[in-house]
Amino acid sequence: MAQTSKAQTENPSRERILEQIRAGLRTVVPEPPALRSGQVIFEPINNPLERFQQECVGNLMECALTADSAASARQLAKVLQSLPEGEAFVQDDPALRRLIELAAPARPIRWSSQGAPGEASQATVTLAEALIAQTGSILVTASCGGRGASVIAPCHIVYATVAQLVPDLASALSRVSQERKLDSNSFACVISGSSRTADIEKILVQGAHGPRRLVVILQTVT
Amino acid sequence: MKRKVSLFVPCFVDQLLPEVAVDTVKVLRRIGYAVEFPEDQTCCGQPALNTGYWGDARPCAEHFVRVFKNADFVVCPSGSCVSVIRLFYPELLAHSSLREDAAALASRTFEFSEFLVKVAGVTQVGATFPHSVTYHASCHGLRELHIHDEPLQLLRQVDGLKLIEMVRSEECCGFGGTFAVKFADISAAMGTSKAESVAATGAEFVTATDPSCLMHLQGILGKRRAPTRTIYLASILAQDGLAQKSSAQERP
Amino acid sequence: MSQTAAQRFLHDAAVKSADLMHREIIRRGMDSYDVAHLKGRARIKDWEAARQKCQEIKREAVNHLDRYLLQFEEKVIARGGHVFWAANGEEACTYVKNLATRLGVRTVVKSKSMVTEEIHLSPALEKAGIKVWETDLGEFIVQLRDEPPYHIVTPAMHLNRGQIAKLFREKLDPGIGSDDPADLMAAARRILRQAFFAAEMGISGANFLVADAGVIAISTNEGNGRLCTSIPRIHVVVTGIEKVIPRLEDLAVLWPVLATSGTGQGITTYGTLIGGPRRPGEVDGAEEFHVVLVDNGRSQLLADAEQREVLHCIRCGACLNICPVFRHVGGHTYGTTYPGPIGSVLTPHLNGIKEFKHLSYASSLCGACSSVCPVKIDLSHHLLQNRRNATEAGATKSSERLIFRAWRYAMLRPRMYALGGWSVRKALRIIYGLGLAGSILDPMRVWNRYRSPVPLPSESFRARWRKDLGAN
Repeated sequence: MAQTSKAQTENPSRERILEQIRAGLRTVVPEPPALRSGQVIFEPINNPLERFQQECVGNLMECALTADSAASARQLAKVLQSLPEGEAFVQDDPALRRLIELAAPARPIRWSSQGAPGEASQATVTLAEALIAQTGSILVTASCGGRGASVIAPCHIVYATVAQLVPDLASALSRVSQERKLDSNSFACVISGSSRTADIEKILVQGAHGPRRLVVILQTVT
Repeated sequence: MKRKVSLFVPCFVDQLLPEVAVDTVKVLRRIGYAVEFPEDQTCCGQPALNTGYWGDARPCAEHFVRVFKNADFVVCPSGSCVSVIRLFYPELLAHSSLREDAAALASRTFEFSEFLVKVAGVTQVGATFPHSVTYHASCHGLRELHIHDEPLQLLRQVDGLKLIEMVRSEECCGFGGTFAVKFADISAAMGTSKAESVAATGAEFVTATDPSCLMHLQGILGKRRAPTRTIYLASILAQDGLAQKSSAQERP
Repeated sequence: MSQTAAQRFLHDAAVKSADLMHREIIRRGMDSYDVAHLKGRARIKDWEAARQKCQEIKREAVNHLDRYLLQFEEKVIARGGHVFWAANGEEACTYVKNLATRLGVRTVVKSKSMVTEEIHLSPALEKAGIKVWETDLGEFIVQLRDEPPYHIVTPAMHLNRGQIAKLFREKLDPGIGSDDPADLMAAARRILRQAFFAAEMGISGANFLVADAGVIAISTNEGNGRLCTSIPRIHVVVTGIEKVIPRLEDLAVLWPVLATSGTGQGITTYGTLIGGPRRPGEVDGAEEFHVVLVDNGRSQLLADAEQREVLHCIRCGACLNICPVFRHVGGHTYGTTYPGPIGSVLTPHLNGIKEFKHLSYASSLCGACSSVCPVKIDLSHHLLQNRRNATEAGATKSSERLIFRAWRYAMLRPRMYALGGWSVRKALRIIYGLGLAGSILDPMRVWNRYRSPVPLPSESFRARWRKDLGAN
């Protein structure tokens, strides 16, 4: 109750607003008939992997299918080699420790346990919580190297497996709810492409304040 | 015994564009309907309704309901007037003793093209009009009465008529009733954009389901000395290819 | 003597209506939106079902607003966040200003929030000596020009690249050589980078407040909103109270519908969910999280049985995009935070019907807005209701009231109506016959300013009917 009385003294408008809301809601507004159940709003996803790859193309994302961790490591090395010199920020996770060891990139690695990425980071490498086929999205949380990991560097690389693919937004969000991901994480994000803007003449520019490149290394076998 | 319709003529058609109603009568008779014109009719109430004077619109609406109460069908050459009767009379007359009569009447009131196609079931009315024509989708007919295809179905059956599609055919022409006077600059700018879309088709004529749109557009086109002329839908369908001058050519 | 809002509107509308370069820029922008929007809708199997579902979600939220707001608040507080309820803009600004001052904030980075425009937050902070950086590219541009956003989704759509390049050269860096949009974005990124890392406070809006999860949801594309909510140590969310939705799963349809209506995308690049300050063990994130819930007239709309649904608005901008009036006068002409159809409906409620009723009249009632609204707000109908409310509140000119009184008198008397019509035609014939069309004596002079005069028929239809059309 300490919270409430504190609120009353520090925020007197709170009660007034709630009272006004309740007073307003006493006016009854007739409701029209609800949506018939079973109405399908989105086309069902029959082939999630194919759909995810298609959406990646439309989202200006890169998606590389790999058969095993050796191939994934090679893919990672290839992407890192294409980038300017500078550190890579990597989520400190056993799977990524192994991947980096295999890839053996010739650039300094800053692990997430050492602190957040900064302007010096040319790339970030993280895992994802899930991949969403419907929209070609990756779902990340604060556990995936933090908030900045998916937005600060010009290139964000995601290491994921096909087992992480879910068909649509509804199932991804349902999983977030069921696994209470937003209780154990202060942040989550559904990312569907590289950052962009069309604020100038409605012309699409890829790479705004966030990454210009979003690369998904998608391993078919865990 | 011929089927019968009662004609409702919008006030501005009655006073300024009588040919619109004359041609409507002509077509209805040609497809086999007897037409009545209850002379006590005045206005559907749209100007007062749209300006917010519902207290003044209400008695006008009640007068309309009384005049047309016993009509089998009411046909009107204007989508906007019909939308007032079908969509707004229930709200306007919610507390009136004529509430039920109004609801019943609304279900028997039709815009001209939707009457022809949906009630009379005809698209071929024996018309000849060997000219190029573009179609402006008048807003109230389109969005409130859901008249999408009916005018086009009718136009496609007209002998010799070449139908040319215009870009942004569904964008408002800018008439809007008193809007044309209260916000004259905006109305004229919208009308100019529509005139440009019309001109881009190169069509000789532009038609629509609302003669008010055409009245506004003709003014804009005339000021620009553009060659395209406006012609109401029924006036096209009234052309039967017989000897006389077409009423379109009579128009200045 | 200062102008009323209505006078200013008429003046600005006249200027913009004649501005052909402006019309061309907007035309091109809207044509591109039209194409993208249709493509976006095609991605959704049943668009009408999607609209209806979104309408139901928002209706449920607004009809139980207190319950969902309290649920949201409880979860945010449980995670160590703060929730402040502001009755009006002034209270909201004072809260944020005091917070900033208390925590030694000197620089703020801001992502797009129409509510912060509504309450004039930036000027309040700047008066307290705090530097505010708008980081959304469009907002950044209009901030440099010291003008309000032109459009709620694309704030700088009224400018071409040449104008923006010139602005950047003048205000930021004379060395900016190119006017290519990609280069201009790169310049903005370079300059704003320092602000992101230096700012002590990040201010964002929220597209949705998710009650069951106790998180805010922000839909963005640029990444600036992400940076504002990741780097600075204090994160403040400023939002309207009506933004709440019941469940996280509601976003499965709201996110795609918002993106489709706003820009034609299937979904925006970033759908961010934040529920509190960083948790122990997290790599980064704000140490303090504050949500400012702004009422500012919204709770009053709840009591309006006809127009409560106006609170369902998800601020997608689709009604602005489709509106032919907006397309011809542009966003600045309205002179209000919210332009376009939603602005014309909402502003008389939030800012007074007497002063702003003209916005509800400045429409041809074409209905395009209602047809396109993703939450099915019948905007066109509400414009009409606002007009009725204005006359019933006595806010319209008495001369107009008298005119309609006389009109009604005539419309109930068929013979008087017929005679009146005949008299007007006769008078016009005489006036035009004397060559006085367009003069002060011409009752149709406003009409005739832009149009060639309506040709006057010699007889009315009813006269023709009586004469020779009666027989079937």
